Amino acid sequence: MDDSLYQRRKRTNQIGLTLSMLAMVLGMTVLLWILALLFYKGFAAFSWTFFTASTPAPGSEGGGLANAIVGSLMLVGMCTLVSTPIGVLAGVYLAEYGDQSPIAGLTRFVSDIMLSAPSIVIGLFVYAILVAQVKHFSGWAGMIALSLIAIPVVVRTTENILRLVPGSLREAAFALGAPRWKVATMVTLRAAKAGVITGVLLSLARISGETAPLLFTALNNQFFSTDMNKPLANLPVVIFQFALSPYDNWINLAWGGALLITLVVLLINIVTRIFFREKVSA
Amino acid sequence: MNATVETAVKRKDPMNATVEAEIKMKAEPTLSPAIRTVNLNFYYGAFQGLKGVNLDIAEHQVTAFIGPSGCGKSTLLRTLNRMYSLYPGQRAEGEINFYGQNILDPKQDLNLLRARIGMVFQKPTPFPMSIYDNIAFGVRLYENLPRAEMNDRVEWALRKAAIWDEVKDKLGQSGLSLSGGQQQRLCIARSVAVKPSVLLLDEPTSALDPISTAKVEELVNELKTEYTVAIVTHNMQQAARVSDFTAYMYLGEMIEFGKTDEIFIKPKKKATEDYITGRFG
Amino acid sequence: MENAAQTPPMMDTSLQNERLLAIARSQRVQDFIFHKVTLVFAMTVLVALIGIIVSLIINAWPTLEKFGLKFFYTVEWDIINEEFGAAIAIFGTLASATIALIIAVPLSFGIALFLTETCPLWLRKPLGTAVELLAAVPSIIYGMFGLFIFAPLFAQYGQPALQSTLGQMPLIGQFFGGAMNGIGILAAGLILSIMILPFIASVMRDVFEIVPPILRESAYGLGCTTWEVVRNIVLPYTKTGVIGGIMLGLGRALGETMAVTFVIGNSQRIGASLFSPGSSIASTLANEFGEADNLHLSSLFALGLVLFVITFLVLAAAKLLLIRLERGQGSRT
Repeated sequence: MDDSLYQRRKRTNQIGLTLSMLAMVLGMTVLLWILALLFYKGFAAFSWTFFTASTPAPGSEGGGLANAIVGSLMLVGMCTLVSTPIGVLAGVYLAEYGDQSPIAGLTRFVSDIMLSAPSIVIGLFVYAILVAQVKHFSGWAGMIALSLIAIPVVVRTTENILRLVPGSLREAAFALGAPRWKVATMVTLRAAKAGVITGVLLSLARISGETAPLLFTALNNQFFSTDMNKPLANLPVVIFQFALSPYDNWINLAWGGALLITLVVLLINIVTRIFFREKVSA
Repeated sequence: MNATVETAVKRKDPMNATVEAEIKMKAEPTLSPAIRTVNLNFYYGAFQGLKGVNLDIAEHQVTAFIGPSGCGKSTLLRTLNRMYSLYPGQRAEGEINFYGQNILDPKQDLNLLRARIGMVFQKPTPFPMSIYDNIAFGVRLYENLPRAEMNDRVEWALRKAAIWDEVKDKLGQSGLSLSGGQQQRLCIARSVAVKPSVLLLDEPTSALDPISTAKVEELVNELKTEYTVAIVTHNMQQAARVSDFTAYMYLGEMIEFGKTDEIFIKPKKKATEDYITGRFG
Repeated sequence: MENAAQTPPMMDTSLQNERLLAIARSQRVQDFIFHKVTLVFAMTVLVALIGIIVSLIINAWPTLEKFGLKFFYTVEWDIINEEFGAAIAIFGTLASATIALIIAVPLSFGIALFLTETCPLWLRKPLGTAVELLAAVPSIIYGMFGLFIFAPLFAQYGQPALQSTLGQMPLIGQFFGGAMNGIGILAAGLILSIMILPFIASVMRDVFEIVPPILRESAYGLGCTTWEVVRNIVLPYTKTGVIGGIMLGLGRALGETMAVTFVIGNSQRIGASLFSPGSSIASTLANEFGEADNLHLSSLFALGLVLFVITFLVLAAAKLLLIRLERGQGSRT
């Protein structure tokens, strides 16, 4: 055995593995540093008025993000109401008829691309077809932009989950003489319920933090409003505007808002993991 | 090796054997086929899964399909309710005559056909709904029953499948909460509930423990008084115990078909004898 | 069994029963409607895509008509005199995304390698989950971190260090000179790399895990070291998947708005140094769209079109690679 060759191989191995561990340490350190800072700066901004008062005027003290929180809840809630049925039924189509139709193949491909497409372009699109036509920004436009981002997420998770349902379960329903739509909705979809809910929740997490598409659609509103037909305050755009402002109070509120969004997104992700794992193993 | 044949026959429960003999005596003069296949060929894409199968499935009798894995016995069963039509690329040629109607006719309504020819699968497949709704699901498809009648029908079907006493107090619970053997009897009850005329059983006991298997076999004996039954099994003793007729298949071909007693005691073909006595397969 | 007698089976062997045929007919109609309704919903995704492309082209048309191909390679972005060229924004987009990849890919590879090969088993699950959770953090967080925390530190320590090392080298030295205020194209690339790191790492880990254990074991059986197994077995086996994952990350980096807008400096000039501020397509849109009209607005739409086309091509290529990987998996088994 050539000792020096063996030594060299061993050294290469050690160097490679050490570098890989360093990469892990470095990556995790930076990412955890970001999260730690976010928690530190964000919690400092949390207070009673943070959740109850509306956004303050430029340069003034106090105030909170109540209008933005309510606006975000409305946007995300409405968006979920719209995108869930569309996304689930489209996912059902891909799972049920997807093997025979070229349209399904194309839809699947396009959905996958739309999953990572630049969200700011979707904002441009909604601006062009809606905001520019009615000549004012509105909550509805924001909701449509978010829905266009959420739908592909729901479509793809729904299809993937439906395809995991055992074929024998579908066949058993067909064997009773059930028409396809009843098999799909009353048996397959029901069996995949946990997975579909996971998909919806993940889409919710995804759109909660989306800022870019709202810049040109819902815009912002410094007053408390629940009118979807007018510009609507929302957390991401408020954070964006406040963080880039010269006022300390606004910057602090932006940190608070950023922490709030991150907490919600992480919470949804963790809940879906626990929820889904339980359902799958059951 | 001949001992295997004898044990196979001996193992038959004497009680059931007499019952069977009685029924056979009654039924034999009117042995009309419920299903008749004529020169049936089946293809998975380019692969031919069935080769020119001719077979009569007698009304109110149990017909068993036996043979080694991949011989086409399950494929044959799945042509009888056209389950294969769910999958593009699979097709059947020839004729399957169900009481005078060729069900391979492209105009045949498949849902209706499957409501008349029920099927039970290898693994239990309870739907993700309550025990009650598992039964009622199929009934509601073709019948609009008032509540009270539906309750009666559910009870009737569960009794038929000999599971009523075990579940009568928990009809609202999920079908998935039952044990494997109970789930399979629930699935049989579900198929029975829609009152088909033929029941196809695809290795219904292969996922079950011996006690549950015995219960399901007993059930098959009961069911044939009112239904025509076709059962696929890889267990020769089971075929001997439950069936009146047996078809031995190999490589997509029907090698031998006849009365179960004759096939097991005095098979006409050497290949059949080899398989049954365990020299092959 | 008393009950059994009450409801004898139908024993209707015919497939011609009028009542049943009527039900079957109505079921066929229901199925037809169901098919078409779900089809329409599935089509919304396609319609959205076509709508995006068409609306971008229509709105970008005045600019494309006026400047033609010149729009794509000129550097003028003069709002007052209405002279528009996309070169600076395109350069900023490509440069920041490239820097992000150069940094994030090796780190992601290291993390994926660690998670699949050397990490103690009890730590694999929690660390893997942590990486996946970090991939879900909204991008605006990375932008704020970049502006408030990273940029000042980078200006004080990072940039001087880079200038005194890489900045002294021939050829590439000029990229690391000039004013050091912590923001600019390099800073944007660094923040982007942090943002896409967990994403690429979790995709890589997923594809590494599809390597059949038997392959790995037989290589170890020959006396290969862990590094050699990864280098000669795992990487070649998962090549397409790894590249697909990297390109998905690239797609994200190209289209990212928030993480970039905060730190790129938002200048429509171009400097030789990577320290100098610049702009990306997405940051230009985010900054200028609110006050734009006429030709300026149209030029922003044209920028959006360019961005969409670039990312679409990158993502489509990534997707095709990943599909090929899946097919390969299928044919192997």
